[in-house]
Amino acid sequence: MNHRGGWALIRRTWASWMQYRGFFFLLAFGWMIPPLVYLFVWSTAAGGATVGGFSRGEFVAYYLVLILVNQLTYAQTNWIVGDVIRGGGMSQWLLYPLAPAYHVLSSELAGKVVYMIFVVPVTAVLAITLKPELHASLADVLAFVPALIFAWMLRFLWGYWLALLAFWSTRADALLAVQDALVFLLAGQVAPVALLPGVLGSAAEMLPFRYMVGFPVEVLTGQVSGTELATGFALQVGWLAVALGLTWILWRRGVRHYAAVGG
Amino acid sequence: MRAYATLIGQFIRASVQQELAYRANFLISLMHSLLNAATGVLGVAVLFGQVETVRGWDLGATLAVLGVYLTVGALRDLVISPSLDALAGMDGEVWTGRLDFTLLRPVDIQFLASVRHWRPFALVDLVIGIGVLVAAAARLDAAPGPGDLGAFLVAFGAGLLALYAVLLAFIGLTFWSPGFLFSWVFSGLFQMARYPVGLYPGWMRLALTWVVPVGIITTVPAQALAGDVGPGLLAGSVIAAVGLFAGATALFRAGLRRYASASS
Amino acid sequence: MPEPQITVSHLTKTYRVPQREPGLRAAVRSLVHREYRDVEAVRDISFAITAGEVVGFIGPNGAGKTTTLKMLAGLLHPTGGDARVAGHVPWQRRPDYLRRISMVMGNKSQMLWDIPPLDTFLVLREIYRVPAAEFQQTLDELVALLDMSDLLTKPVRNLSLGERMKCEMVAALLHRPAVLFLDEPTLGLDVSIQRRLRRFIAEYNRRSGATVILTSHYMADVAELCPRVILIHHGVLLYDGPLGGLVERLAPFKLIRLTLDGARDEALPDGLEVIEQENGRLVLRAARRDTPALTARLLSTLPVIDLAVEDPPVDAVIDQIYQEGSV
Repeated sequence: MNHRGGWALIRRTWASWMQYRGFFFLLAFGWMIPPLVYLFVWSTAAGGATVGGFSRGEFVAYYLVLILVNQLTYAQTNWIVGDVIRGGGMSQWLLYPLAPAYHVLSSELAGKVVYMIFVVPVTAVLAITLKPELHASLADVLAFVPALIFAWMLRFLWGYWLALLAFWSTRADALLAVQDALVFLLAGQVAPVALLPGVLGSAAEMLPFRYMVGFPVEVLTGQVSGTELATGFALQVGWLAVALGLTWILWRRGVRHYAAVGG
Repeated sequence: MRAYATLIGQFIRASVQQELAYRANFLISLMHSLLNAATGVLGVAVLFGQVETVRGWDLGATLAVLGVYLTVGALRDLVISPSLDALAGMDGEVWTGRLDFTLLRPVDIQFLASVRHWRPFALVDLVIGIGVLVAAAARLDAAPGPGDLGAFLVAFGAGLLALYAVLLAFIGLTFWSPGFLFSWVFSGLFQMARYPVGLYPGWMRLALTWVVPVGIITTVPAQALAGDVGPGLLAGSVIAAVGLFAGATALFRAGLRRYASASS
Repeated sequence: MPEPQITVSHLTKTYRVPQREPGLRAAVRSLVHREYRDVEAVRDISFAITAGEVVGFIGPNGAGKTTTLKMLAGLLHPTGGDARVAGHVPWQRRPDYLRRISMVMGNKSQMLWDIPPLDTFLVLREIYRVPAAEFQQTLDELVALLDMSDLLTKPVRNLSLGERMKCEMVAALLHRPAVLFLDEPTLGLDVSIQRRLRRFIAEYNRRSGATVILTSHYMADVAELCPRVILIHHGVLLYDGPLGGLVERLAPFKLIRLTLDGARDEALPDGLEVIEQENGRLVLRAARRDTPALTARLLSTLPVIDLAVEDPPVDAVIDQIYQEGSV
């Protein structure tokens, strides 16, 4: 494993992205709006009372945390994996004495840092204006960190194996768009998963999408504890294993296929 | 007049061929459109599963706002966006200087720039949007009568004109700042049009009326459909839309004068 | 003497370019106080062209040729001066005027990218309102002249650069313009396509009587096509007349590049000016007339390993002319 090379790549990617930070801030701004819309809708609906057990302030807190978690877990680089494969750049990547994962990781990390430079202050300002109510115990905060990390890994890998389908089909990025839409619906953006009724709610609890965004948010806002927390982690790690497996298989098959068709 | 119609026909024909040349996967695009609409509808459904009304808006009326949003969005994606966006961005006509060719045509530039490119797939989104509107109309307290429908059409037209004006104004700004992603900023802000303006806090409503007039574009037409809009509001909507259109046209033409094509 | 189709008098174009020093402090300062620099792209140019002429604008990059052309096409407003083309003021951009002109730009394409050229032509037919019969006739004629019938149905993105340029020419001529502006049409094309296009342009001019104004910094284009050239440098018109006279005055000398084996202990023959000297390599300049004789003497008196005789690069020559202030 070429760690020095990887680290250098990460630093260099970060530096070049910072050059275009205006562009990335704009992107981050665009991604922030949908959660904000739902923040306003739900907090207005709650008004002075509660809706589904959430008060106005709790909705505000939920969605502000969601904005941060969403930005931290959003795997923007999966979009370029497909491009790289189609554009033939994969040949170049495979030539470097560096696992292609480093290229992807470096732009992930670089991107996160740049986006956070924008999102954190804006969220802080929003928090001051909108007055959230956050009830987070120490246990919640401690559980939040692994939940967040797993969520990022899961979201990344899930999108990665979908993107690897580009080895076989040129239309893989359409699937990524579908995946984004599903995340939007089932991962706690449209409404906290707890508020999703009936079949939708049950589905959301089983499917991997909640564990990409909503679950860490629920942990930090104190919505899950005890057995629910344990089940949640189990499902999260379970789906992570599935995603890893799929990625591994598709990567090996994909590289073989790519070499076979001449790259 | 007939010449303009034939010209538009040619543009549509060429656009259809370009879209076919891409052979984008129709099924996946369809799934994507349905999913987007479903997400919107479910969002509204989940909300009103928890409460009866929010600031006077009930399920039917809010769904109507979403229906207008989807329909207006589809019309925007059908022709306005594909045409105007060709000017903006790093590979847009303004930045690369290809606007020169457009300027050489013996046809009004604003007309050309607004109807040149079509994206026929948006017709699917249009059907979906109208579907949501019809479903919303069925859910309203009082079924819309002919007067309501008339008011709705007027308000919808005004909303569409206002949307066109805002997009045109952003393109006008492109002449001063060619690389800036105005349309991305607008798409982001336009998300707020999914829900009635009344749901947002007071200070936001001001911005949403004057900066991005989502009130005129989606809220007023939905209110009209629900029979909830007086002639004053309707007239105000139309006047505001016309005013926006005049302002945007002026801005666009001012930008054109400023345009000194990227030399060589 | 027929009435000129194109008259240009004292045409001037000055750009205001914002000035910015690098660094944060200057960036902040520029928010409050913008500094501008005036760039005179075209300075007081005057000429007249009669219908049917083929005229070449030449000069180095950034000389103002394209700017002048764009003013005549109505794309730019001049800062001063006047012009009339085919009875119109170009920058008023009347539809009647726009229907009578056309422009081809070597570095930009007007073709729709993903579909066959024919589809772009059909759209243009509609834009310029060319009657169907006339359109078909013109198209057939142009396609035959350019020998490109097999290209019409291939998507433009699959065509080579030369094939695309053929399409650009057809697109520009479908509405039979009276004046054709060609801005570096042969840019980046291989030699055989360049020659093809030149023959096409000459033939088209002969058949249709359209006025052609061509800018190029390839001397070959101008030499083959343009009986008359206008030399523009730093925005100023330096020469307007037959090409023959200009070539004579422009390049009265040649460059001789020598590689010597060992040191030079003989003095150089008279009539040679040393331009560059490094290790064993020399670049000399000699009068055109004297070059054959001087070359022979160099070969016999010096230990020459390699010798090449070149025309001086046009840019350098024009630059020198400018420094000397006149032609």
